[in-house]
Amino acid sequence: MGFNPLAEKGIPIEKQLRNWSELNVQPYDKEQVDPYTRTRVITMNGVEVESIIFSHQFARRTDNQEIKRALALTRRIEQQQQMAVNWLMPGEETTLEVTIGYEQTAVDLTAYIARAEPDPYLKQAFEFGLIEDSDHLYRYANMLALLEGKKAERITGPLTEIMPGRPTVAEHCHPFDDIRAHYDKNTVDPLSRLHAMTITAAEQQTMNFYMNMGNRYTEPLARALYLEIAMIEEQHVTQYESLLDPLESWFQQEVYHHYNECYLYHSFMSQESDPRVRAIWELHLNMEIEHLRVACEMMRRYEGIEAEEILPKELPEPTLFRENKQYVRQVLADQDELRTVGTQFVPLDQLPEDAKYFEYRDAVNGGFAPSERVIEEHVNAHGDDYRFMPEGPHPVQGLRRAAPQN
Amino acid sequence: MRITTVTKMPGGKAIPIGMTVVPPERRMGLSDLEGFGVDEELEGIFLANFMSAFAAHERCVVHLYRMATGLTRIPECREKYTEFEDHTEDHLRILERLIERLDGDPMYASPQARMTEFVATKLVEPILLEGSVDPLTLELTLLEAVTLAERKRRLNWKLISELADQMRETISKQAMREAVEQVESDQDEHVRWAETRWLRMMIAQVM
Repeated sequence: MGFNPLAEKGIPIEKQLRNWSELNVQPYDKEQVDPYTRTRVITMNGVEVESIIFSHQFARRTDNQEIKRALALTRRIEQQQQMAVNWLMPGEETTLEVTIGYEQTAVDLTAYIARAEPDPYLKQAFEFGLIEDSDHLYRYANMLALLEGKKAERITGPLTEIMPGRPTVAEHCHPFDDIRAHYDKNTVDPLSRLHAMTITAAEQQTMNFYMNMGNRYTEPLARALYLEIAMIEEQHVTQYESLLDPLESWFQQEVYHHYNECYLYHSFMSQESDPRVRAIWELHLNMEIEHLRVACEMMRRYEGIEAEEILPKELPEPTLFRENKQYVRQVLADQDELRTVGTQFVPLDQLPEDAKYFEYRDAVNGGFAPSERVIEEHVNAHGDDYRFMPEGPHPVQGLRRAAPQN
Repeated sequence: MRITTVTKMPGGKAIPIGMTVVPPERRMGLSDLEGFGVDEELEGIFLANFMSAFAAHERCVVHLYRMATGLTRIPECREKYTEFEDHTEDHLRILERLIERLDGDPMYASPQARMTEFVATKLVEPILLEGSVDPLTLELTLLEAVTLAERKRRLNWKLISELADQMRETISKQAMREAVEQVESDQDEHVRWAETRWLRMMIAQVM
């Protein structure tokens, strides 16, 4: 029998508060950290931020003191969880180094989720975003080399390839074409819901990070690159959030947020290599079990729905960080030329001439494309672009270097 | 625990329409619905979709009673809400059996059922505004929600009854008549009680 958070006893919420010293955790060593420990930290930071923001939105929809207090109490603890998680990241990591971690997270989290996704439409949406994030990793890696003289593979390790994906310059879509159809709450596989929520949270965190940190550079090209890619992250948030069924009520969504946190802490606990970080995942899981209980109690009291009616008997198979190199290559080979029209995915050569895509893309790329310029500058400075491709030549002929073959 | 929410776990099915996607193995085909009420020359698809919406309403009313039972401070109301919740769960069982007898799937959630659920869940939302009303207003709002929900239930059952009246003597007609006979007295009682109680409370405040 698998793990069912509804059947577990968590830490009573009144005992969950931590003091400043407990929250001000020792950061990981950036030279020693397992790259996937970093990506787990980035993921859980985003998931906690999403939970906090959602709780604030919910609180603004009610003046019921009992509900507001329950939300406020849980939210305060969630805020502490976010701090404890995000403060694992060391100040020694530069913004660009952190950014490489964010994009490695986007690539390997999205790839794993796409592989595990049972619904073909959602899987397609995840794969569509996957090869765009893959390209962001490549563009930022070249920026890192230019500005700081560092190789991104020192951050990502041998786990993730760094190569062109769907070129960022071609990713810019009209807002209407970022909206997707959504799953149906009456039929959705519980894992699909968790996937959509997790990716939405992760991409939202990435968008917010770039929106806020992109202006910290003095180098104009770095500033420009961040704002260009931040706009794609906004597209991704639009895409992923539209996969969620709006028929799910505020109370149900509150339950699902905490269920997803239980699921992810449980998943990450099972594969964490750093014992100190693992202890944080375990502690937070025990906190989330209680948050879930509180959320379920509210749903039962104010909506008359029992948690067992909408949650599975055990957590689905875990979401893990693992190498996805061959999968990413295959998706890139198959879907590089894919675009969107409305909620549908369409090959580029089948887009109508008057598709909104062309008009929007030409408008935003009208001056210059920072994502292209960064590669040009790297080529000018070093004779070639920076890539890390231990698995062989690029899977798309048109994205290979002229020579040497790579 | 009685399952009163359609999800994948108990076998939820749907038709992908407009902005929804449904996993292939959970899809209800139009051809599956055409045979609804097999032995009558009925618009099977329309009827199947309506019956699904009807079931969605019954489920939402169960939730409404569960919520109202926990929140009311009036013992008489609590007693009635508890009693009516039990009745409504029974009626839901009867309706689900009827859907099965008409060759339908009670776990099918039609597009109309989605909209019904969307509207019906608004009846439990007034609790979100509890902080800016007095306890009497909250009680009256609960009662109004019950009244509206029960009137809609009665109208749905009345439709089944009238359809049965207009049908030829068939198995479907028989099934529909039997279902209506099992619920109609409870139904009348629910509406009568809710309306009377609401009037009594209002008049007591004025006179």
